[in-house]
Amino acid sequence: MSLPLDRLQADFAAALAESSAAVTLAPALVAHDARVLDRLALYRGNVNAAWEKALANAYPVVRALVGDEFFGGLARAYSRAHPSVSGDLNRFGARFGEFVDEFEHARSLPYLGDVAALEWSVHVAHYAADPVALTRERIGALPPDELLMARFALHPACAWLRSRFPIASIWLAHQPQATAGLPDSLDRGELALVVRPLWRVEVLLSSAGELAALAQLRNGADVEAAITAGLQAEPGFAFPKALVRWLDCSVLVEPPAAAVILSEDQ
Amino acid sequence: MQKSVNERASQGAGASRLGGVGIGLRAPHYRELLSRERCTDWLEAHSENYFGEGGYDLNVLTRLRERYSVSLHGVGLALGSAAGYSSGHLQRLASLVRRIEPSLVSEHLCWGAIDGRVLNDLLPLPMTREALELMCSRVAEMQDVLQRRVLIENVSSYVRFAGDDYDEAGFLNELARRSGCGILLDVNNLYVNQLNHGADAAAQIDAIAPQYVGEVHLAGHLVTELAVIDHHGARVADAVWALYERAVARCGCVPTLIEWDTDVPELDVLIDEAASARQRSPGGCHVLAA
Repeated sequence: MSLPLDRLQADFAAALAESSAAVTLAPALVAHDARVLDRLALYRGNVNAAWEKALANAYPVVRALVGDEFFGGLARAYSRAHPSVSGDLNRFGARFGEFVDEFEHARSLPYLGDVAALEWSVHVAHYAADPVALTRERIGALPPDELLMARFALHPACAWLRSRFPIASIWLAHQPQATAGLPDSLDRGELALVVRPLWRVEVLLSSAGELAALAQLRNGADVEAAITAGLQAEPGFAFPKALVRWLDCSVLVEPPAAAVILSEDQ
Repeated sequence: MQKSVNERASQGAGASRLGGVGIGLRAPHYRELLSRERCTDWLEAHSENYFGEGGYDLNVLTRLRERYSVSLHGVGLALGSAAGYSSGHLQRLASLVRRIEPSLVSEHLCWGAIDGRVLNDLLPLPMTREALELMCSRVAEMQDVLQRRVLIENVSSYVRFAGDDYDEAGFLNELARRSGCGILLDVNNLYVNQLNHGADAAAQIDAIAPQYVGEVHLAGHLVTELAVIDHHGARVADAVWALYERAVARCGCVPTLIEWDTDVPELDVLIDEAASARQRSPGGCHVLAA
């Protein structure tokens, strides 16, 4: 008499989580030989490897910082604390940053959690939608008073993080095309801006003024309010320079309302 | 003449019928596939790799779709999970299907989730009447949501359950007959199961109802002391080629896929394997010149 399917699968899952639970499942299996428990261990290895691979894919810089072996331990601990909830492994690992912050054995690397949070933003940006970004030509054609009243949406790949650590510099030092090594001092904070011009995600060093202005635009405020907020946060904030950088990095897109008007015109 | 599953499966708008031998689409080959001339009859993509709302992977698949017919092969729906099955995952698949208009959509005869936890592996189902009932209802839901026939693939396994009511071929035939789905026959998986469990692969091929077979998968495996691993990281083994010849002699011109996932080699190695499959197909099935 075989077990009901839900019970069998619960026993199977328990055996994959803990090798000691395999004895509960074993009677339900055809035992060709004594190696049936070793065969189950293959599945245990496979699922753990799949989770570790997914995390390694999303967190290459954290992995490079801690080494493969330590990363493997982190991955196993994370998989237990925050089990996968999707059949899409690209969604696995969303809370890795906060987990790393709490992870006892990573206390000596206090910046690791923030680097992980930055990497998740990069990972999410890779799969974000592809709206048409506003160009220099499009914005350059606006008279100055219209520009001040204009409202934009931000590209869905765009995100930013504020850290007590130089996370943007750490991330940049680990890229294949890196021009600088790891920062000399880890004792200074950085603001990191994640953008996706065309297809490759980039991380830019940002400033308080730039992020204050972008936050205004994201909330639907007009350009004038964004400039004001930028100057409040950073007296030297140079809006024209920031605007050019946003346009070159596909940060700005038409707000949804304008998109609707466009499609009605067609 | 009876319509094959493949013809019926490809009735979605904009989809063309698959023929010949395809290769699995893997990221290391993106650039070469985009730049070189047509080099495969069709491409099979792992659906979940393209679940994003946008981004580079989806852009590549969309561009390749302009030149190639595409089959979408899911690895994450875990249809046979008694608890923890996600219809959200199915909705994301439906969105991708609308976007890509694939010729075929397939998933596995497996489970992979319990309540609140996904195991992200193709875990084996017991071949019982209860599992068959569940698979029939899940496949029916999948076909309702996608508005098309799907193919379900036999998996390889390291363990088997006591108290099975069917063998694999019998289970797949019943699933196809009752749900209206087709069968994606993975010949390598049958062979791996023969080595792991003693189930005669040739007898399974002889028992499969050929009218349901809509696609065949071929891949390499790894023999270890403990078990044979279906790692998709080598050329197709001679014994598997022999089983393939047996399968196509029985099923006729069935679209065939060369899969490679571990240590992905140069694109030309896959193209060469595809040529070997074409040589072993019955005359009249060839699409590309061998």
